[in-house]
Amino acid sequence: MSWFMGIDIGSAYSKGVIIKDQELVVSHIVISGANYRKSADAIRAELIKKVNLTQNDIVNTVATGFGADNVYFASRKASDIVCTARGVNNVFPQARTVIDVACQSTRVIRLSGEGKVVNFTVSEKCAGGSGRFVEVIANVLRINLSDFGPLAARSKTPITFNTGCAVFGESEAITRVSEGVPKEDIAAGVNKALANKISSLVKKLKLEEPCAICGGGALNIALVKTIESELNTTILVPAQPQFMTALGAAIIAITSAASE
Amino acid sequence: MYFAGVDIGSTMTKVVLMDKSGNLLTTVKGPTGPEHRQLANEVMRQALEQASLQIDDISCIVATGYGRLNVPFADRQITELSCHARGVSSLFPNVRTAIDIGGQDAKCMKIDNGRLITFVMNDKCAAGTGRFLEMAATTLDIGLEDMGDISLKAIKKIQISNLCTIFAQQEVVALLSRGEKLDNILAGLHDALASRIAALARRLGIEPDLVITGGVAKNRGMVRAMRESLGCEIFVPEEPLLTGALGAAILAKEIYTKAVARGETLPAKSRQLEKATFFSSEHQ
Repeated sequence: MSWFMGIDIGSAYSKGVIIKDQELVVSHIVISGANYRKSADAIRAELIKKVNLTQNDIVNTVATGFGADNVYFASRKASDIVCTARGVNNVFPQARTVIDVACQSTRVIRLSGEGKVVNFTVSEKCAGGSGRFVEVIANVLRINLSDFGPLAARSKTPITFNTGCAVFGESEAITRVSEGVPKEDIAAGVNKALANKISSLVKKLKLEEPCAICGGGALNIALVKTIESELNTTILVPAQPQFMTALGAAIIAITSAASE
Repeated sequence: MYFAGVDIGSTMTKVVLMDKSGNLLTTVKGPTGPEHRQLANEVMRQALEQASLQIDDISCIVATGYGRLNVPFADRQITELSCHARGVSSLFPNVRTAIDIGGQDAKCMKIDNGRLITFVMNDKCAAGTGRFLEMAATTLDIGLEDMGDISLKAIKKIQISNLCTIFAQQEVVALLSRGEKLDNILAGLHDALASRIAALARRLGIEPDLVITGGVAKNRGMVRAMRESLGCEIFVPEEPLLTGALGAAILAKEIYTKAVARGETLPAKSRQLEKATFFSSEHQ
């Protein structure tokens, strides 16, 4: 049996997957918290428990992400850009552009026909251009993050934010709430502002179709729809968008084990 | 003959009343008011009361600031940039560069003989404004007015690697939990804001004399950090919040004097201290 593991320690969430024959078998996500080492341990324990394995059954583990250094049981680290590209390529071999909407930044990656990284760009670490903006406004609207997309999708008249900054945006959202603007219009306004920033990042790199999206932001379906209309394209969304980078790490674990 | 300048900022409303010789009669600062920001008229009423004047005694009122567009009792609206330039020059005649750091924007102005030549501003990103420190004060649970003095006690500056205000808050929490000292963290935060504003000012080119105004200029830690970042002497008015309103009052006096010199009178209107609203009517 050949099981491989990929662990992606992000600034907000840590993700892990186990794969077998390049197929994702099981995934697990925890809040990264203050101790990344502990998060890595927790993910590994939960993953192997879910598929009834022991640590020794895992042939190789590769770590990636912001806190990759803390995955002490990984055989090596891999760049998150390469891992994201690999993961998405595994699910959508046809994808030529990948948008990764993460908590601290957004990344756009261009892939070759063989799934290799041709070029990429990373947004500034700006809350207004990342999934964090959604979190901030969800908090103002007192709604769960998972309800944000469906709520925004109901809006027919999204508001226009006067700012691209999440801090100023928060004040603006509070003002709109006090003026009686419906929640869905505010949520849709956030998606519009965010989609605008993400689209200009994509355009900077030049969009090559088909385009896929991953990262926690991809769970916000209304956001994906807004980006689609900004870019005038259809976007591929994987079933588990948050795990694409971890999946890529696990796939790299196969090749790096073979070469040793 | 009396003149008034009303500066409706995002957080504070400032009123300056002046007599025909340019002497200040009274100055009032008050909160613009939360959310609906309708307290501008209240601040004006206070100023009139202090000076024992009626609204109809004022020959000309100039409104400026973010909320200037809908001040029902004002005769003219003039941008805060022009008013600041005029106000700062009246206090520092040799000023060539003025930096106004407010709660939601930062403006750098080039001034020649009291006139605004050119400017750059940041109102797009909270990280280059006073809001950056406000958020830090909330996170650290200290008073906004105390943080500058605490930062001056620092032995070393801890560099804040995140530019974004929101991510910097997270970083500050992480630094605290790592056991870093509050004063050292604060010194780093002041330094981060100062270097962002210095970068903005450098786009314009810095020429002495340099004056800093706005609420953030009251923060001594910030003045020191700016001095270090810019590498030059910095002048701060005694009342750094009032330069916009002061400039507005001076301009009100000029407008009136010019009109009289042309043999015109300003349209006498019966003024009422209606509520000044923050957004123009289309938003309501």
